[in-house]
Amino acid sequence: MSNQKKRNFQIEAFKHRVVVDPKYAEKTWKILEHAIHEIYNHNASGLSFEELYRNAYNMVLHKFGEKLYSGLVTTMTAHLKEISKSIEAAQGDLFLEELNRKWNDHNKALQMIRDILMYMDRTYIPNSRKTPVYELGLNLWRDNIIHSGKIQSRLLSTLLELVHRERTGEVIDRGLMRNTIKMLMDLGSSVYQDDFEKPFLEVSAEFYKVESQKFIECCDCGDYLKKAEIRLNEEIERIAHYLDVKSEAKITNVVEKEMIANHMTRLVHMENSGLVNMLLDDKYEDLGRMYNLFKRVPNGLSMIRDVMTSHLRETGKQLVTDAESSKDPVEFVQRLLDERDKYDKIICQAFSNAKTFQNALNSSFEYFINLNSRSPEFISLFVDDKLRKGLKGVSEEDVEIILDKVMMLFRYLQEKDVFEKYYKQHLAKRLLSGKTVSDDAERSLIVKLKTECGYQFTSKLEGMFTDMKTSQDTMQGFYANHPELAEGPTLVVQVLTTGSWPTQPTITCNLPTEMAALCEKFRSHYLGTHTGRRLSWQTNMGTADIKATFGKGQKHELNVSTYQMCVLMLFNNADRLSYKEIEQATEIPASDLKRCLQSMACVKGKNVLRKEPMSKDIGTDDAFFVNDKFTSKFYKVKIGTVVAQKESEPEKLETRQRVEEDRKPQIEAAIVRIMKSRRVLDHNNVIAEVTKQLQSRFLANPTEIKKRIESLIEREFLERDSDDRKLYRYLA
Amino acid sequence: MGIQKDTVKFNVGGRIFQTTATTIANAGRDSFFGALFDDNWDLRQQQQQPNSRQEFFIDRNPDCFAVLLDLLRTGDLYIPSNVPERLLYREAMFYGLTDHVRSAKWGPFDGNRLKLSRSVTGRAPGDGTAIRAGPDGGCCVAHGSMVHVFDWMLEEHPPINLDYQRVNDIGWINAENVLISACERLGKGDGGMGLFSSSTGDLRHKFNVVHDDQIKSFTAGALGFSPDYKIFASCKGRSNEYGIGVWDQVTGKQMDFFYESPGWYLGDADKLQWLNGSNCLLVATLFPRKDNCYISLLDFREKRMVWSWSDIGAPLTIDEKRVRDAIAMEECNSICVVNEYDDLGFIDLRINGGSVRWSSRSRLLKGKLPDEPCYPKLALHNGQLFSSMNDCISVFCGPDWVLTSRLRRSYGGSICNFSIGGDRLFALHSEENVFDVWETPPLPVI
Repeated sequence: MSNQKKRNFQIEAFKHRVVVDPKYAEKTWKILEHAIHEIYNHNASGLSFEELYRNAYNMVLHKFGEKLYSGLVTTMTAHLKEISKSIEAAQGDLFLEELNRKWNDHNKALQMIRDILMYMDRTYIPNSRKTPVYELGLNLWRDNIIHSGKIQSRLLSTLLELVHRERTGEVIDRGLMRNTIKMLMDLGSSVYQDDFEKPFLEVSAEFYKVESQKFIECCDCGDYLKKAEIRLNEEIERIAHYLDVKSEAKITNVVEKEMIANHMTRLVHMENSGLVNMLLDDKYEDLGRMYNLFKRVPNGLSMIRDVMTSHLRETGKQLVTDAESSKDPVEFVQRLLDERDKYDKIICQAFSNAKTFQNALNSSFEYFINLNSRSPEFISLFVDDKLRKGLKGVSEEDVEIILDKVMMLFRYLQEKDVFEKYYKQHLAKRLLSGKTVSDDAERSLIVKLKTECGYQFTSKLEGMFTDMKTSQDTMQGFYANHPELAEGPTLVVQVLTTGSWPTQPTITCNLPTEMAALCEKFRSHYLGTHTGRRLSWQTNMGTADIKATFGKGQKHELNVSTYQMCVLMLFNNADRLSYKEIEQATEIPASDLKRCLQSMACVKGKNVLRKEPMSKDIGTDDAFFVNDKFTSKFYKVKIGTVVAQKESEPEKLETRQRVEEDRKPQIEAAIVRIMKSRRVLDHNNVIAEVTKQLQSRFLANPTEIKKRIESLIEREFLERDSDDRKLYRYLA
Repeated sequence: MGIQKDTVKFNVGGRIFQTTATTIANAGRDSFFGALFDDNWDLRQQQQQPNSRQEFFIDRNPDCFAVLLDLLRTGDLYIPSNVPERLLYREAMFYGLTDHVRSAKWGPFDGNRLKLSRSVTGRAPGDGTAIRAGPDGGCCVAHGSMVHVFDWMLEEHPPINLDYQRVNDIGWINAENVLISACERLGKGDGGMGLFSSSTGDLRHKFNVVHDDQIKSFTAGALGFSPDYKIFASCKGRSNEYGIGVWDQVTGKQMDFFYESPGWYLGDADKLQWLNGSNCLLVATLFPRKDNCYISLLDFREKRMVWSWSDIGAPLTIDEKRVRDAIAMEECNSICVVNEYDDLGFIDLRINGGSVRWSSRSRLLKGKLPDEPCYPKLALHNGQLFSSMNDCISVFCGPDWVLTSRLRRSYGGSICNFSIGGDRLFALHSEENVFDVWETPPLPVI
């Protein structure tokens, strides 16, 4: 009122700026600060969320965000310093528990503080590019607790101590461990890595270095690997229980390096228990363990592979060069197959069927099978044995399995053409003597060879089968045209196409007269139906069934070769015949005659003839009689020829020569084929391409190729380039 | 009927609201309600005690609370006429429900269902240069040397400038950051390219161009962005430093520079577009900035121009159709172009140096061109093609690009620029300082 009296005019500002109570911010902050204290003191039940939220909202709204934020930092830091003291004070084992309890408290408080300050978090903080409340809380915890001097090292040593105790077999509180590690991870991956992971890995490396040294001194390889595997699994389990998944690769790396990589060589070569011994003793489990552990370290598998390969080559080499095993081809091949089966099984069961190991196995076999030049022959002989008798009573599937295995060995052969040679001979014998067990098996093998080596390889073999079939028809036709021959001896002729069969130039022996007449009839019948052909008799390949009556009247049917038949028929008209007489009468070549006499006079149980003097060998002065005392419990008696199953040394050389001879045109053909398409090529490339082209049949010898080139130049298929002597030119 | 145990009672500014905890839970944990009902604040226990059916007091506006509660109940936003939008938004901010409001306010973008939502006028003196939609429904508009930023509520934030240099292009890095390219001021190192906070307008980073280990001042033109956090800008330096610069969005450091070759223009391009499928950048320099049009695709990994097209030497037709804007459509393996008559044309991306196949959709505009013609602009969004011409925007759909809709508002003159983003379309007019906001209304009730 007094103002009015004075009429003291005072010009007021046009508009009062609305000023909030200057102490407003301070008051509001006090409320919030108090609330934060209460939250940390577990006293929050008396607080009103709505009020606190509204106060924080108002502070931000009235531009006191900065004050609110810095106040928060100060208050929280002060609380964390208190907490840090109480954690430091915790004694012994209680330390971790106290840390965990406080961490949980802090987390809960942080959540509540964030709730109150939600509006600041959403508006003020992004605009002023400050750290959001929750992260701020974690950072402050990290800086004031985890990185405080007294706690940091103690925490680390406590954690490492616990891990060590667990490694030595003690039971520790994994839950506590997990929570603590989780805290470090929550604080950021760098905290976990710097404050725990790195030292943990270092300590682990040291631990395993010492332990592996201890183990390797006292354990054998198998036990060591078992222990390493257990340790590895323990570490993986530890990761699952309380460490960061990302640490798994790192810690397993440490174990792998310390326990495996550093001792790899020593383990593999350990005496009496190393890799070679495991292979020898078929220790699938140990081998599998070694594979799985070594797989984890660089060069681990290649080391296993190399040792296995050299061992395999060594044993294989012994096997194929061992004079003892070369004696029996069937045994020889069987041992190869067994060796392969053994390693197949090892690779399958222990080495998880790894391709690289299979390749190593194959290359090893290829290496040593070809060390023995007789391998092709032996493999063919093995097949021969199986197809003659070995497959009787074996199911079709098993036959296939055996044939597949043989094909496997066949694939390793470099000189496939040599195998073909022998196979042809052996097949011819089987077919002609009717010894083959199963036609299906024979054909199946031919199909396999065909898919492996192509049509050319088997065309002659197939021709042999065709001949057998047509011969049957021819014989039927022959007897249909000559019904008068039903009485008397029966003739079975197999007409063989020249070229398809292994030809053995032989002199036809003198057949008994009744047979000779029959043969003559057949010849005229055959030439009557097929004009322009020529027949020549291969008496060395035939067989005969003859009936014989011995001294006491017992009758037997004898299954003999044509030669043997010729000899025996002579005794129809004589009781005693000298060697010379027999030779004259039959004109059988001396070596064959000796062999056939030997088989009839010297083999026990088959001695239908008697010889004077009694001896194992046939001499040119020997005399022969019918053995009247011959007995046998069988009606049918099969008299085999004493045939050298395996080739004798000169025969071998002969076959070899024939093979070499056969190769010449093939090499020439290959050269011409290549030159025809290339027109001009240098020497080295010609050699390389020829070798490549012929690889599926044999390994061409470079000097032989060179000779063939020379020969082709002589015959003017090729010429040398006038400037560059190394260059060849194709002459069309 | 049993007694519903989860009913909740609020007293908001004196008005009582009752709802269920289930409804409130729709607000999510990161909201006022989410915190309120968190176990830490053990309000639930108080609530569940018999005879203490206590109500929660909230000292806020009850009208807005009603709207927001309804939003939580139904997911629909209905603002009665007595509630100002600004007030509602502020309340939504308080409760932490802005995301709910925004997603309920307009629906997913569909060019054929657009409705004009608002026209915003400003006070800028100059012609509009560019408008760019932000990722969250906001936008920024460049006029001369100033850029005005609007958030999704179309509230204007402090304007931005880069040394008051003429702005050539603008772009959003994310909802928080806007990038500006501007002319250089000779000799002072001003201008160039800067990153700004969209909410406060503070400069956060200025980008440099380095040639021969020396920092050079430069004029930045068209901007482009790739999903692997790269920024591309066409750059003009004083000497021969013309080309496309590449920067890392995270570090702000220059990563690469593609120098233009003689006779081909990259340094003052009209448009840059990153192509995800082919990992290339489309650069279009068009008439009338240059006498001819140059469109090319750059592969930065090999530093190679992998595709190019130009109309140099092409015979001029009588009506002189020139390409005025271009946009790559990777799904169709072609580049769509438009001429001043709003004809669409297509260039095959698979053939280097092919020709434009114009669609004969000619609209007869001759004779009634406005005084200040604006060159047409193109945009592509979710398989819909947009083309602006004079005062309207045409929408094309389908494999043959059939005209399906036309957006027009005959006020403010021609549309000089438009942009689609955050499920909104913004169209900037050239004559008066006004831009339109088009949005898709929420789906019908049934």
